[in-house]
Amino acid sequence: MKLARRGFIQGMGALGAAAGVSLDAVAQAVKTAKPVAKGKAAPRAPLEVKHIKSRCSICPNFCAIQGNVVNGVIKTIYPDAEGVEVYNHGICPKGVSGMYNTYDPFRLKKPMKRTNPKKGPNEDPGFVEISWDEAFELVASRLAKIHADNPSKLVFQWGQGKYLIGDAFMKAFLSAYGSPNGTHRTTTCEAARHVADELTWGYHGHIPDLKYTNLLFNFGSNYHEGEQSSRWLDWATAQGRERGLKVVVIEPRLSNCAAKADEWVPMRPGKDVVLILAICKQLIDAGTIDEEFLTTMTNSPQLVGADGHVVMDKDGKTPLVWDAVTNAAVAYTENVKPTLKGSFTVDGKPVRTAFTVFADGLKTITPQYAEEITGVPAADVVRLAATFGKEARIGEFKEVDGVKLRYRPVAAYTFRGLAAKEFGVQSSRSALILNSLVGAIDSVGGLLLGHVNNHPDYLEPAKCEYPPKRADMQMSVFHPNSHHNIAQQSNITILDPKSWGLEYEPEMQMFYGTNRPMATSNSWEQFEGMTKTFNVVIDILLTETAWYGDIVLPDKTYLESWHNSPCKTNPEMTGIVSIRQPMANPYNLEHDATSILFELSKRLGLRDKYLTACNKTWGLKGIVFQTGRDYTPREMVEVMWTSKTKKDFSYALEHGFTAKKKDVKGKYLHGVEHVFKGPGKPKFKLYADHMIGTFEKVEKTVKANNITRIDLAKYKIAYSPLPTPDHAQPTPHREAKDYPFYLVTHKLMHRYQSGNTVNNVITNQALGHDLDTNYVVMNVVAAKAMGVKTGDKVVVETRVGKTTGIAKAVQGVHPETVAISFHYGQWSKGYSPAAKQGTWINGVLELHPDIPSGMNSFNDTKCKVYKA
Amino acid sequence: MTKLVRLIDQKRCMGCRACIAACATENHFTPDAPWNVMVEYEVGTYPKVKKVFNTMNCMHCEHPSCKMACDRVGAKAISKNAFGVVTIDYEKCIGCGYCASVCPYGVPQLNKTIAQLSPGKEKLGAENLDYADRHPTHRKKSNTAEKCTFCTHKLEQAVADGKVDRIGKDQAYTPSCDLVCPTQARMFGDLDDPNSDISKRIKETGAKQLKTKFGNSPQVYYVLEEGAVS
Repeated sequence: MKLARRGFIQGMGALGAAAGVSLDAVAQAVKTAKPVAKGKAAPRAPLEVKHIKSRCSICPNFCAIQGNVVNGVIKTIYPDAEGVEVYNHGICPKGVSGMYNTYDPFRLKKPMKRTNPKKGPNEDPGFVEISWDEAFELVASRLAKIHADNPSKLVFQWGQGKYLIGDAFMKAFLSAYGSPNGTHRTTTCEAARHVADELTWGYHGHIPDLKYTNLLFNFGSNYHEGEQSSRWLDWATAQGRERGLKVVVIEPRLSNCAAKADEWVPMRPGKDVVLILAICKQLIDAGTIDEEFLTTMTNSPQLVGADGHVVMDKDGKTPLVWDAVTNAAVAYTENVKPTLKGSFTVDGKPVRTAFTVFADGLKTITPQYAEEITGVPAADVVRLAATFGKEARIGEFKEVDGVKLRYRPVAAYTFRGLAAKEFGVQSSRSALILNSLVGAIDSVGGLLLGHVNNHPDYLEPAKCEYPPKRADMQMSVFHPNSHHNIAQQSNITILDPKSWGLEYEPEMQMFYGTNRPMATSNSWEQFEGMTKTFNVVIDILLTETAWYGDIVLPDKTYLESWHNSPCKTNPEMTGIVSIRQPMANPYNLEHDATSILFELSKRLGLRDKYLTACNKTWGLKGIVFQTGRDYTPREMVEVMWTSKTKKDFSYALEHGFTAKKKDVKGKYLHGVEHVFKGPGKPKFKLYADHMIGTFEKVEKTVKANNITRIDLAKYKIAYSPLPTPDHAQPTPHREAKDYPFYLVTHKLMHRYQSGNTVNNVITNQALGHDLDTNYVVMNVVAAKAMGVKTGDKVVVETRVGKTTGIAKAVQGVHPETVAISFHYGQWSKGYSPAAKQGTWINGVLELHPDIPSGMNSFNDTKCKVYKA
Repeated sequence: MTKLVRLIDQKRCMGCRACIAACATENHFTPDAPWNVMVEYEVGTYPKVKKVFNTMNCMHCEHPSCKMACDRVGAKAISKNAFGVVTIDYEKCIGCGYCASVCPYGVPQLNKTIAQLSPGKEKLGAENLDYADRHPTHRKKSNTAEKCTFCTHKLEQAVADGKVDRIGKDQAYTPSCDLVCPTQARMFGDLDDPNSDISKRIKETGAKQLKTKFGNSPQVYYVLEEGAVS
């Protein structure tokens, strides 16, 4: 933090008074200008100006920021100039004006308790303010009672709260308390994409190497309007396009990404997998595939039997390949040359290589078929495939910093638009497979993966737990690969726990920094769940979730509180550790979630257990939290900083973060090249054989326990080892025949999901009145056919319910699609009138979670639209 | 000489409006008098459609129509300084609105009422900073014209600090709209220096001024998006 006392020069008006005045005269005028003195007014004290480095926590970009505080008021927020090399060159409008989420007259300032026991959208909670002591006593006594009975009856849900204090504190609290029920928001974000990664290469997270990528296919990634890594992606694509990068955006709506692209390919929603598989077929038919990559780094050569399983050696664990040298089925060891394609006989049984199984499955996915399903012209399918194959430069190398590396400068990149679907995992996997066909994985210009095979258990059949231990059904037979919690499930389970096999009934829920029901689909079911539990809500506003609260506790915003902040880096950097430090506390708030959890742990007699658990969840070694003492939030951040960086805390206060540059080997050679390449190593699973194993476990568990909730036919489709055209037919597409339009949702840059940005007076008033509301966006031709014009009030009806909105007829949307953004239509009394404008769409979206991951589906609904 | 100009690259602009939010927080925005606006529009017909994102602050014209009108009515409230920055003296403005009428770019805002950001509630954030502690361009008055000043308060600070060469480079001396852009679609600097980054960039991109037919010779240059109207 830098402090400057600047003698502000009042009366600067003299500066511009004379037209054409010279620079020297300007300098002289500035130096000699005196404060304006009216009558006998005392001279003004110099302004106190502080520059404070911190992190934005509104979204998971965690941009490095500098707050400029004038006389104790956060006046402006700039991007931290030191952060440019590491991640963000700028900041978004939410971040720029983030102080107005802090300066908000609707902020919660005191704890409150509910006096009306009934809960509902039209039930006034009858909140009365209480002291912190009473609030802690009420919450702790209830927690103590549950703890004595069955700690699992506590469910703790968080969302943006993870960005504010990190989920390690909540996990530590639950660990000390003894409840397994901690749930983050990932299945309302992009969980299916993570799980697709995990089922394919054993961990998650990938990003295109845009410094060198020449062709980017973008399926559902909206870095110009939302999403993770966007503050680097938006700059890197702008930079790349000047270098010659071509961007093709394939999606139903002309998002801002599509608007900036070299080509927008409109497509029917939910049909990406067919287009991607059609492109795969074109590449395979043309021979434009990276056989070396597929043979040595993926499981493509592994032999697959008629039952779909990979054929194993006598040890039952080592997959067999067909050796081109000995013409036999052997384990892939030294001197073996695996065959990529072909059908063979092993022990009298027919087998095919996994690659051949994949290729054979694509036979009917011709460009014409793809056109029929996706709406993308067949000629375009052929052209896109040929371009992708050509630009992949298969077989080429590039020297970077003296190291010769595979050069495959293409990437098919996906994010939430593709993943937030009933078949999000399979859709996302299809893009990973496309990249692998041309070897564009951990290559120069290709897709760079995270910590490859960090979780080898993800490449094995899942546990399929039953009966479930967790209210959100994570890792249960219902969603066997739900590695990232299931955000929307707990409130559903609570409605009828026995029907899910849960052996207890949750009684209490804590919600931290999440407006959970508003951010899911089929939201009214969520609210119904909340009527069954005693709810403690920690937030900055009286959100809709807080409206259903029994105790509501005010939190500090990210500009008022301390944190060891998560961060993002660009592909050239690593090892970042950052703090967030407070800049103001205008309402003199006493607590934030860190201190609330600490106080609760004390009142429950769990403080030391909590601190020990914190050391574990934060991964602290050497310098750790000591038991037997209290910690303030600042003290906790100081321990974490010094433990992780071994640097003095004064460095953190001055610079905000530390990071280091990756060397070229760290960037390209520690992933698939190191972990998967060659004999005797695990493999990138183009063919996810372990998914069959998971299905078989599900089948066995269902039959053994007579589980009626599970439709095995659906699970078989969901757990296919390869993506198929079945994954382009989610339930609403198959069933909602009388609903002609596909309904898609999307984010906007100036607001965020939790509802904690929607009162912001700057983003609400200064950015333009076209943002006063969201719209029911339709294609002009479709709108005209219905007699609908821009500005008309229309009804959007789905199988779940109806809502209304203002129509906007545009060129930039597929004619069969209606697009409605999130972030509008709040209805809780805790919001300003501006926040209540527009359409809240979540209440009418159908919910069909992706079976493996539990991903909340947002983009599969079908609807009718008509004039109100 | 120093002639400060701005470059806005529509090809890089992603329409996020961070620059508009930055202007608003830097310059004490009051409702319905924005100094930076976004004009976004579609070009083309489905399926060949693009969007143009065009932000506009003041053009700080070499021949500002607003100043001519203001001089003509006798208020003489508008001036252009050595940097080329066109500013309005609120104490001299008579609120006639002619500047707003004659500007080809629709820039000056005649701010009828200085309204609070949250009417009926308390003042928020920088609204609490006393007028006497603010730069004159931030002491908004009702029935007074106001507009983008190229963040002249920062430029003046650069002069005071002897850092004119850091204008457009250091955050303290760069208009806030130009320093927050996530895609680096905006630049600010000295066009009179042929070796400045902005001079080179304007030359290499062939950036254009808008509405040159009015003869104002604006000090803001645009790299136009495909299909954009200049």
